[in-house]
Amino acid sequence: MRMGGGGGRSGGRGGAGRDGKGGPRKKFFVRRRKVCKFCAEKIEYIDWKDIKLLQGFIPERGKILPRRISGTCALHQRKLQTAIKRARSIALLPYATD
Amino acid sequence: MRLYDIVVLVTPDLNDEDAAKVAAEYKKVLTDGGATVVKEEPWGKRRLAFPIHRKRDAHYFYWQVDAAPAAVAEAERRMGLSDQVLRHLAVRVDEELKRSAKMAERLRKKAAKRPPRPAPATPPAESGSAAERSES
Repeated sequence: MRMGGGGGRSGGRGGAGRDGKGGPRKKFFVRRRKVCKFCAEKIEYIDWKDIKLLQGFIPERGKILPRRISGTCALHQRKLQTAIKRARSIALLPYATD
Repeated sequence: MRLYDIVVLVTPDLNDEDAAKVAAEYKKVLTDGGATVVKEEPWGKRRLAFPIHRKRDAHYFYWQVDAAPAAVAEAERRMGLSDQVLRHLAVRVDEELKRSAKMAERLRKKAAKRPPRPAPATPPAESGSAAERSES
């Protein structure tokens, strides 16, 4: 899944095409490679006021989407986490919903 | 002086003008402490994500100020004492903004350094995604 540090980040786009040729890997699902949204769109500063952006990382339950699912890189997940927590503290986002 | 993002939530019991007056009080505390208001955005009456003191919505006021820590601390102290303020938040943002600007710069340089990269055979499918990003 991971292809060597920072190189994988930029190489993400090409990866899909490579899978199509059916290279060395055989019995694999054609799984869409997850790319960190913030790296891909070059969003460096994750603004805690940008609820629209943050809401994409809040599933129905109100929890923070884990990075194993969203594909966010560690650095950006950390920043996202603090941004969401700040937004929660002034009731822009829920702590929990049911 | 440091850059702060400050948000104040004022009770919905007050009407728009009175709420603005309450918020202006705290802005005055800041400016008296030597702060300059960089950005000012009243977000208006918004629905809360969860009830606070049985209230379902609140008047939101947002400022970005260039202030001394002491002034912000004083404003926050007073907000905490007030019954009309449901919540308040002050976050220092200058360092993080600087850091992300630096990161963006580095990315740009890195991208400029290696232009002879074979372009992908097909243009990336998602092109509209960049437009989604709202301005900060």
